[in-house]
Amino acid sequence: MKRLSRRTLLRGAGGAAIALPFLEAMLPRRAHAVAPPRRFIVMFSPNGTLPSWTPTGSERSFTLSPILSPLSPHQADLVIVQGLLQQGGGGDGHQTGIGGMLTGTPLNPGPFAGVGAPPAGWATGPSVDQRLAEALAAPTPFRSLELGVQVGAADDWGRMIYRAGNQPLPPTDDPAAVYDAVFSDLHTDPAVLAHQRARHKSILDAVGGEYARIGARLGSADKQRLDAHLTAVREIETRLTTNLVENNPACADPKVPAVAAQSNDAFPTVGGVQMDLLAMALACDLTRVASLQWSRSVSQVRFTWLGIPDGHHDLSHRSDTDADAVNKLTMINSWYAQQMAGLIARLKATPDAGGGTLFDNTLVLWCNELAKGNTHSRQDAPYVLAGTGGGSLVTGRFLSYEGQGLNHNDLLVSILNAMGVPDTTFGQASWCTGPLPGFG
Amino acid sequence: MCQRRFNLPKWSVCLPVAALLAGCHGGGATTTTAGAPLCAADPGPAPLRRMTRFEYGRALADLTGVEAAISQNLPPDEETMDFDDIATAYSVSSLHAQRYLDTAEKAAAALLANPAALAGFAGCDPTAGDAGCVTAFTNAFGRRAWRRPLDDDEQRAMAQLYADTAESAPADGVTAVVTAMLQAPQFLYRPEAAGTAAQPVDAYALATRLAFMLTGAPPDPSLLAAAERGDLATESGLLAETDRLLAQGRAAELFVHFASEWWEIEPVTGIDKNRSLYRNWTDATPAALATETSLFLTDAWNSGPTLAALLTSPVTFADASLAAYYGLPAPGGTGFQRVALDPTRAAGLLTQGAFLAVHAKADQTSPVLRGKFVRAQLFCHPPPPPPPSIVVAPPVVDPRLPTRTRFAQHTADPFCASCHTAMDPIGFAFEHQDAAGVWRETDADQPVDATGALTGTDVDGNLDGIPSLAAKLAGSAEVASCAATQWFRYAFGRSEQTDGDLCTISALAAALSGPQGDFKKMVRQTVRMAAFRNLPPESQP
Repeated sequence: MKRLSRRTLLRGAGGAAIALPFLEAMLPRRAHAVAPPRRFIVMFSPNGTLPSWTPTGSERSFTLSPILSPLSPHQADLVIVQGLLQQGGGGDGHQTGIGGMLTGTPLNPGPFAGVGAPPAGWATGPSVDQRLAEALAAPTPFRSLELGVQVGAADDWGRMIYRAGNQPLPPTDDPAAVYDAVFSDLHTDPAVLAHQRARHKSILDAVGGEYARIGARLGSADKQRLDAHLTAVREIETRLTTNLVENNPACADPKVPAVAAQSNDAFPTVGGVQMDLLAMALACDLTRVASLQWSRSVSQVRFTWLGIPDGHHDLSHRSDTDADAVNKLTMINSWYAQQMAGLIARLKATPDAGGGTLFDNTLVLWCNELAKGNTHSRQDAPYVLAGTGGGSLVTGRFLSYEGQGLNHNDLLVSILNAMGVPDTTFGQASWCTGPLPGFG
Repeated sequence: MCQRRFNLPKWSVCLPVAALLAGCHGGGATTTTAGAPLCAADPGPAPLRRMTRFEYGRALADLTGVEAAISQNLPPDEETMDFDDIATAYSVSSLHAQRYLDTAEKAAAALLANPAALAGFAGCDPTAGDAGCVTAFTNAFGRRAWRRPLDDDEQRAMAQLYADTAESAPADGVTAVVTAMLQAPQFLYRPEAAGTAAQPVDAYALATRLAFMLTGAPPDPSLLAAAERGDLATESGLLAETDRLLAQGRAAELFVHFASEWWEIEPVTGIDKNRSLYRNWTDATPAALATETSLFLTDAWNSGPTLAALLTSPVTFADASLAAYYGLPAPGGTGFQRVALDPTRAAGLLTQGAFLAVHAKADQTSPVLRGKFVRAQLFCHPPPPPPPSIVVAPPVVDPRLPTRTRFAQHTADPFCASCHTAMDPIGFAFEHQDAAGVWRETDADQPVDATGALTGTDVDGNLDGIPSLAAKLAGSAEVASCAATQWFRYAFGRSEQTDGDLCTISALAAALSGPQGDFKKMVRQTVRMAAFRNLPPESQP
């Protein structure tokens, strides 16, 4: 007789997950880590902001703008960085912006025909979160988690996370799919799980062998494609030999309500569920590097829940003197600030395994592919960081680098340093002078 | 010297494609030995192709009996040039690998749950544990899934996997073998080993090309048998299989898939309209509009898929609910029925709700989007984009002004007008059809003015309403050439790049628009081309 997995029992006939505490005895464990896990989260919002996003005041004594005001409960935990050029190249403004935002590299030439520029492909280097995942080499089942909210189509307007050059990592838009992929092993009977893992290991060994063998028969460009596929197969194979969970009582089966993942008006709800899943994935130590991508560059989400019927991208192209557009864009960007505040609040509300909260050991970065939508400018792009990542980053600061001619590559290096990775450069070398002065 | 159209910077300085092709390759397709591949000087590049979600679902359904919709488990396909199968756009990640594993497992489980289907592969039950039957099953299933016989290494690898996984039950081993085969590169990709010189595609790879192009799925057993017998080595043998597949319902489905991407209709299932302005738009509307267009294209394919039929045919398909949506009398019978429309108002795909609603905003029509579609997708002359430095400010909806008045204000600026005069005057001809695809007599309480103009083409002239535009498009050699270009991109999974590609497109266009020409003839012509039958040398990028 086939054994029923615990998951089968819990999910019942309707398929809806029921929130129950995990049976502690069922969970394979890793030993406690000596040092608390250090974590990094990226949050993206699209289409640029308004120049009025910037705080006023000095480094240690500053006032948040109306756009950032929802973050005021966390002001002492923020580091706000202004005055950098978000470097990039290849493609149109949005393509360049989202591709270079976290990689600090230009796009390759490629098949995606943008507006007013030669067709572009994928970015040419890894994104900063993936460099961190590599350097931290955490013993978690997932090297990183990419979550999306209505990101939609697979193209270089919608990809910000890169495993390596030419290897974009697609986010998962559907919370139910995230739940299945990330949490299902946790509530599978250990004996069933062990058997399943052994089978998957054999299958993936055989599959990997075929990728290597067929790739060897092909020309170099085609072989590269199969090599990339082989790398992906090996990565999920590694998951099979990783033990599951840190002993954190806060790790519980997350609730996933049924949501219409692609429905415009469900945008806030879907994002909320994704943030719940993200926080729980950290609490269960399933990953230490994650991203939450709200829509995509050139997003046309209609913020109907704020009473705004217009598409966001259309609005972002209206004139600086258009009071209606400025008002609506202020509301939209402020709404995204509120989402970041919600993410921080979730992390602060979740105890960490070694004491304190998840937030104590997490660094959050909020970024945007552009500074301004109607000019596609990337000068003075907005960066809001929160938390220390378990390091010594001093928070409660507003850092302006205006007029210094620095690129955002320097910020990306600073982030790596703040997370304990001693790199001296990141992305395209000619765009990087090293860590930002006065950041760390 | 031929200029490659792909590299031309602006439509306004382009030579019309038809003229370009005639000048470069006028006789290229007709001066070869009977039965030899056409345009043989240069087959063009052949990048490694991967199954699209559409193909993957159909392949799994064929092989295991699962629903084709299971392919929605995969991350979305990269789409560019409006097509889902452009090979150089693919990316792969661990998310892909995980979903391929999960989906292959589900498909394998479906096959194992169906003893008759399982026994159908080798005439015996591989789960009974007989070693000979397991080998026979592995070879037979592998031959279908990998579209050729397994070589010795592959047989050994699958036998090893079976041995590693069949410990507690032979069925577990069979499941593992099927699960592995359905993730292997021989299944997901279409590897074709090239040599140091151009050479014919080998028989099994040719069968695979043919099957995916005509059915969106791997070869059926008859086609594999034809490949095995060597029938495909001659043009007549290849055409015999082509004609057999073209007569099947799957070819119609493939045509619907291609045309829906070309006409940018697929997004319709994900769009919404401002329902305070378009009160008849409901949650059910997008699917009904998609069904309408799909039935129209299927009917066109079966009854004579000429370019003129797609562009001008004054018929559509509607059920009682959709007929009410359009303000038409309810058709007889139940479900969707063929409906004759007023030819002074209706013209093929151009007046269908799916097309019109996609090429419009949520709260207003868009002469820009509709005009741009005609330029870019039907003439293959994409208008130049706005310079990156300018502030693009679309006109704000003012309910007191008709759409065209607002856009006229917007294009009064000579700087904007230099590009928008190429799009907006075409788009104005669509003004009788609102943003939800429904006929209207008035806009902002004024009678609709649907006059416009077509300029810079081989069929220039004044327009008044969509049928006047459709008639011009149907008579345009440039539009026929563009349709052939779109098919070329879809069929070969890449952009046109070489002189050989232009030769191929010219031959395809001739089959589409020549005497008795239509899309079916063009598809048939495709298999005669060197780009289809031959492989470039490996060194070619």
